[in-house]
Amino acid sequence: MTIPRPLFQAAQKTTLALLVTTVALTILFPLFFLFTFSLMSDYETYSEWPKPLWPHSQVRYRMEKISPQTTRLLIWNHGQSQWQPFGPEHIEANEEVAKKLSRFLTNYGNTTLSPSEILSHVQKAQNSGFHEFTAQKSLSQNYQRFFRLYSGAADAVLHSLSTALLTILISVVIGGMAGYAFARYVFKGKDVLKLSVLFVRMFPPVAIAIPMVVILGRMGLYDRPAGLSLIYSVNQIAMNIWITASIFMGIPESLEEAALIFGANKRGAFFRITLPLAVPGLAACAMYSFISSWNEVINALILTQFRPTFPVVVYKSLLGANAQVHLIAAGSIAQAAPAILFTLIIRRYLLQMWGGVKV
Amino acid sequence: MNASKTPGLIRERQERMAPYLLIAPAVIYYAIFWLFPVLNAISGSFLSAPLKQGGEWTLKNYAAVFTDSMFYRALINTAIIVVVSVSLEFVLAFALALLINKKFRGSSLFLFLAIIPMSLPAVAVGAMWNSGLATNGWLNSALVHLGILGEAEKIPFLAGGQGANILLIILVDAWQVIPFMMIILLSGMQGLKPEMAEAGRVFGGTRWQVLHKITIPMLKQTIVTAMILRIIAAIQIWLIIVMIFGFNRLPVLMEQIVVNVDLYTAETFFRKGMALSVLVALIVSLASVAYLKASGALGAKKEEAS
Repeated sequence: MTIPRPLFQAAQKTTLALLVTTVALTILFPLFFLFTFSLMSDYETYSEWPKPLWPHSQVRYRMEKISPQTTRLLIWNHGQSQWQPFGPEHIEANEEVAKKLSRFLTNYGNTTLSPSEILSHVQKAQNSGFHEFTAQKSLSQNYQRFFRLYSGAADAVLHSLSTALLTILISVVIGGMAGYAFARYVFKGKDVLKLSVLFVRMFPPVAIAIPMVVILGRMGLYDRPAGLSLIYSVNQIAMNIWITASIFMGIPESLEEAALIFGANKRGAFFRITLPLAVPGLAACAMYSFISSWNEVINALILTQFRPTFPVVVYKSLLGANAQVHLIAAGSIAQAAPAILFTLIIRRYLLQMWGGVKV
Repeated sequence: MNASKTPGLIRERQERMAPYLLIAPAVIYYAIFWLFPVLNAISGSFLSAPLKQGGEWTLKNYAAVFTDSMFYRALINTAIIVVVSVSLEFVLAFALALLINKKFRGSSLFLFLAIIPMSLPAVAVGAMWNSGLATNGWLNSALVHLGILGEAEKIPFLAGGQGANILLIILVDAWQVIPFMMIILLSGMQGLKPEMAEAGRVFGGTRWQVLHKITIPMLKQTIVTAMILRIIAAIQIWLIIVMIFGFNRLPVLMEQIVVNVDLYTAETFFRKGMALSVLVALIVSLASVAYLKASGALGAKKEEAS
């Protein structure tokens, strides 16, 4: 018995849809959970189980009257679906206590409540026996705390940025020149050079980084973004030669020839005709250089000491003694965000390098 | 002749020189920042200290590496990870690419998603799986939410033996690499002319024959390049391992370099790390050349990257 064709096609379609959905979810979930973690308060991190899979934007509090003078505070535990005592055993209605509690709620609940707001909630609980309210959770708090707690993180971002910019400058200019030569000229040694570009990539950068500790030290560039960018460029120039060669090959040579006929010289033709056409491709190439420089860890670890790059700070925060999961999650999201953004911008060029499917 | 240097001749000569002038900066750069440090690394790995500080030529650094039991464990672990993960990733990515190789609604969104894991910084991937695989992490939480685990049950992912740890690392690596590998292969497949496969079908080839005789050979360039880059990267895996397990629990080659160079400060360890890095460089180069030879790409004229 054969399966009727429409039925077969429908089954095929469903299988494809299921497959695609599964793959997409497998890719997305870990990233999403990391994001959720980056928004958790201390309370959620240490006292809730199972952990929330969806970030809560609000925290539910409840105040209960114990005696005419004292009140107690409870927090809604999503994991156990019940109210649990939170903070001091009992709250007296005075300014001093309210101030302390306000700080406590900021630090452990990621919620901002002014002392006067707290006092008014206490008052309401005193009036009616109990009082429930919700407070908006601060979503940027963990990110701010990461930068405050791991000192030097903000500076590290600056070091990472200047390293990346220098890497772009060196590797796009030098790589671009060589790439243009590969695209436009036939010359002796072209094949050898092309293979050697691959060979450079085979040699792990870490083997270069270790002697570079001494060499850069002599140049006064050890522990400096400039020194680091010199190492990053080694790998990146090789990559950029490949990328720019394919960019320039995509621009018809006849355009340059036409300019020559109209009296431009070779240099003029390049700067006036080819370069403007190559700008989008070169921008993608620059972004690619940025990503690899921004993400790199092992050379930065070896070649920096007091001026680490941002990934090194995140890495060290995780290996440190009192690693705080939710803050590190915030740090890693902050580290990942520019890399993801740039990759999505240049995805078309990334794929063109591999055969050219349009996304 | 010299008196009659016409502008045309000068231009022609400039034209002949142009490619070399354009290549020169790259060549000079590699001489200073690649060849010089490489030679330095090789000579330094045979020295007990810098020559100026009275260092002597010695084989002790390599002896230190070869007498360290960690080195052999690292070598074996790295070999297992490279062989299993590279082949597993390739097979799965190829299978996925074959199955998905159709235009469907949302296909561009799907490709868009598939690029993300590879673009993530290694530290972010490390932190992601560190927080995921912890006993109180999101993976166990998700299993509880889905009702697969009871409230009190937690799987201790990180408490397994060496084999389980390697498996975990291979899975984490697969999560990051397979989607990207898949789109590389997909873009290769979509660059193929569908008529070729159709012709194969028309002349009575089975699906398997078409795949084996037409699709794979035509994708060869893409596959070889993708695989070589993967092998180079896989031999150098370390950060994810360290961020999940810490140092020395699942030793691999690159991790041992970091242990010697960054964790310990004594000159002997620095030298040992140098020797190790030269060995790793040798291993990576040999593996790449071996792969290129085996796949037959080395003899053939290299094609453009585009």
